[in-house]
Amino acid sequence: MYLLRMAGLAAVLVVSLLFAVFVGDQGPWYFAWVVGTIMIILISGAGAILLDAQQEGKIGSSSETEL
Amino acid sequence: MDMINPTVVDLSRFQFALTALYHFMFVPLTLGLTFMLAAMETVYVVTGRKIYKDMAMFWGKLFGINFALGVATGITMEFEFGTNWSMYSRFFGDMFGTPLAIEGLMAFFMESTFVGLMFFGWDRLSKQGHLAVTYLVALGSNLSALWILIANAGMNVPHGSHFDPETMRLQFDGFVKLIFSPDAQAKFVHTSVAGYISAALLVMGVSAFYLLRGQHRQFAARSFRMAALFGIISTVAVITLGDVLGREDYMEQPTKIAAIEGLWHTSKPPYEPWILAALPDDAKQENHFEIGVPFVLTPLIAHDFNTPIIGMHELEDAAGPRIESGITAVAALHRYQETHQQADLDLFKAHEADLGFGFLATRHAPNQDVAAIPAENLQSVIAQTKPDILPNVFVTFWSFRLMVFLALYFFALFAISAYLSLKNKLERNTLILKACMWSIPLPILATEFGWITAEAGRQPWTVFNILPTFMSASSHSTSYMVFSLAGFALLYSIFIAAELYLMFKFARLGPDSHDTAHGTEDYTAQYAVAGTSHASGH
Amino acid sequence: MELYTLLKLIWAALLCVLLIGLGLMVGMDMGVGTLLRFVGRNDGERRTALNIIGPHWDGNQVWFILGGGAIFAAFPTLYATSFSVFYVVMILLLFSMILRPVAFEYRSKADSHLWRASWDWAFLISGFLPMFIYGAAFGNILHGVGFHFGWTGQYYQDNSFFSYLLNPFAILCGLMSVALSVYQGGIMLMLRAENPIYDRARRYAIRGGLTAAVLFSLGGFFIARMKGFVFTAPVNPAMPASPMHGQHVDMVAGGWLHNYAAHPALWLLPILGLACMIGGTQAARMNKAVLAWWIGLGSWIGTIGTVAAAMFPFFMPSTTAPDQSLTIWNSSASAYGLTCMLVVALIFVPIILCYTSWCYYVMRGKVRTADIVNDSHSY
Repeated sequence: MYLLRMAGLAAVLVVSLLFAVFVGDQGPWYFAWVVGTIMIILISGAGAILLDAQQEGKIGSSSETEL
Repeated sequence: MDMINPTVVDLSRFQFALTALYHFMFVPLTLGLTFMLAAMETVYVVTGRKIYKDMAMFWGKLFGINFALGVATGITMEFEFGTNWSMYSRFFGDMFGTPLAIEGLMAFFMESTFVGLMFFGWDRLSKQGHLAVTYLVALGSNLSALWILIANAGMNVPHGSHFDPETMRLQFDGFVKLIFSPDAQAKFVHTSVAGYISAALLVMGVSAFYLLRGQHRQFAARSFRMAALFGIISTVAVITLGDVLGREDYMEQPTKIAAIEGLWHTSKPPYEPWILAALPDDAKQENHFEIGVPFVLTPLIAHDFNTPIIGMHELEDAAGPRIESGITAVAALHRYQETHQQADLDLFKAHEADLGFGFLATRHAPNQDVAAIPAENLQSVIAQTKPDILPNVFVTFWSFRLMVFLALYFFALFAISAYLSLKNKLERNTLILKACMWSIPLPILATEFGWITAEAGRQPWTVFNILPTFMSASSHSTSYMVFSLAGFALLYSIFIAAELYLMFKFARLGPDSHDTAHGTEDYTAQYAVAGTSHASGH
Repeated sequence: MELYTLLKLIWAALLCVLLIGLGLMVGMDMGVGTLLRFVGRNDGERRTALNIIGPHWDGNQVWFILGGGAIFAAFPTLYATSFSVFYVVMILLLFSMILRPVAFEYRSKADSHLWRASWDWAFLISGFLPMFIYGAAFGNILHGVGFHFGWTGQYYQDNSFFSYLLNPFAILCGLMSVALSVYQGGIMLMLRAENPIYDRARRYAIRGGLTAAVLFSLGGFFIARMKGFVFTAPVNPAMPASPMHGQHVDMVAGGWLHNYAAHPALWLLPILGLACMIGGTQAARMNKAVLAWWIGLGSWIGTIGTVAAAMFPFFMPSTTAPDQSLTIWNSSASAYGLTCMLVVALIFVPIILCYTSWCYYVMRGKVRTADIVNDSHSY
């Protein structure tokens, strides 16, 4: 099972690399879109998690958290 | 060749513009909201906090209201190529139909199938399974935009096709050229990311509304922060890609770029100003007044300091010989269609590159037959045709400027909002919150102006430099057009009224949760009870 | 056979498959829309009916979009001419097709009685009208259409649209297509609803199937007496796809039966259609809904197959300029375009079939009125 999963991940990795090489060569902006969109999602997600962390740090210190 | 009634052409253009702009009120939100939903759900799956699921579900509901109209009005576009632009579809369909059909196969099917699961599958799929479905919907809707924009790029820069005198149409011959054309690439990323901005500002604006009223504060603060970060990066990307797209137009569609910049005469680098505001007069072919920023135009367009940008008068002059050669091409092609003589075919081949300019001249020829132009009138026909190569400068110039000014405003708004959100200082800055709320429709407006710039700037062609718009329409009677226009006006008005009613209704109602003034832990605990109503079966 | 001819034939066959898929899947949803006001006597029942097709109607509607897209890409001249010749009905079809998605999404999102009743009527119109036009278009095409092409390839209409609206044979075909959709919609409701919806749906499905059988037989007599189109000189199937040159066509009474006379095995198609329409109603009577659903597929194959066998290789014959009639040979895309599309289709159609079936699998099971009313996410 573990081996199977590793093999699956390796296959995904190879396909992504091939995709990156081909599309990065033929269509740099398409590639930029893929990478950029993932980045946007991760950054906005991280922002939300940061908000959770900011609030957990503040709880108890004041009665009303400011947002 | 009988000319199509010019009123019918104008009405067809009006109807297409109306329905396309209407369709594009809903598409940007679909493109962006799907990825925002995916981002929210990702945080839910990673952290396991219920509030992010509520976010995905609530914004998903607004997405659904909007998605339905996006799909519905998209069908109109597919129909109209055939119903109203039959000559265009026959002439260009070999190349243009392919990306449209692939769009259906590859993207639209995916998006439409999985959107059902996204709404109905919350209790039937695992967390990860549902997240994957949400990503597939997002990917599907953006792939859909990709293929449509590839098709659109084909109209603007028809690389990957050649004219075939046997079938009297453009034959497709370059799949890779079409898909990876720089115009298609830049157009897709620019448009998709513009959609991200529209969605981000919708989420931000509605969240601002809650924060202003002190409702759903935890919910709104998280949505606001995600949207602000989403928006600021997207705005940077949209401006970058706008520049790439402008450069692409500069290389391939000089008339469009000259019209966008209101540039009647070839520029004098490096001083040439970038015009901030002017009143272009299409009839007199000049600007009535100009306010500009010196030294900006040349580097903005040519990306250096000493390349002159060709002005519209000079482009007209350069078109003169092409029109003359095109008239020869059309006349030879017509003779070839009737008698199939090799000599006519050879003559046509020699002038093939200017075919479109010959078509453009038919409007000024006696009985629309260029062969019937008397030798002494040739120069006057050419002179009459020259101004036809330009788009409407006033429209192109101003729609571009409004789009750019709005983009700069979004940049400022997102930057300030993201900063305030990260510093947790949102609620005391009610002015910014109000600005966010009132700015909700602006990105959609900006996208519409973008479309007007791109497509009005493509005129007078449907296939750039090859097929004039006045030849492309279906030869209907005016009454047909009145019938369809009246129907669209009625139906689309009902739709927009229903959409706005529901959007406002659900935005006011807010997420199904109760307010909490305390931390997320309380929220989660409380919501674990209140949220069970969702768990009922289907 | 030349490669180009083969490509044209493959795409014509695929078009048939799409038209069958469209009739079956979209027809099923449309049938539910048409029946909505009759099988559902109160709001809860109507919502149940809607939610039975709720998770799938959107995916099914794509068959319709795909049908349009495939005609555009594979047979651009046919797409350009047919959509434009039938302008008024096409616009009506379009209006009802765009009304449907909105009706689905909006109907149950507000509580007002007037709001919901209005959308219910929208379902009736947007279920009945498209299926009627779908069938009527076949009727008109069999009858022949008035158009010709100028030298640039611009086409001109020679008949007014009233002649297409008021053609009795077209009306018959339209009603038959509605009957088949009512049958399929009724069967779908039987599959996933409980009483009282189940019983009502069963009744309508039986009526729909029988009506379709009667109209189909009547249509056969019409076609046998009608003027069909035949080639008067041999035609090169691999010719450059232009309607302006290369064909000589005449109109002959009974011409649509020439293919049947040449290949008697083709008679199996109308027999299959008729047998399925009658057999399907039997299956519905015996409460075998799953069987009846699949028999419905047979009805569509029989119907579209019968028309295709009669007309081959004609797509849209012209009564005013028969030589310029659109056929498989003269209205297709280029060999290059057809090849590209074929490769894409071979890759994506299996993928589509996989995930579509997976979606049905995930959303399987009976839909209960009580669940629908309590769920804030349902239609």
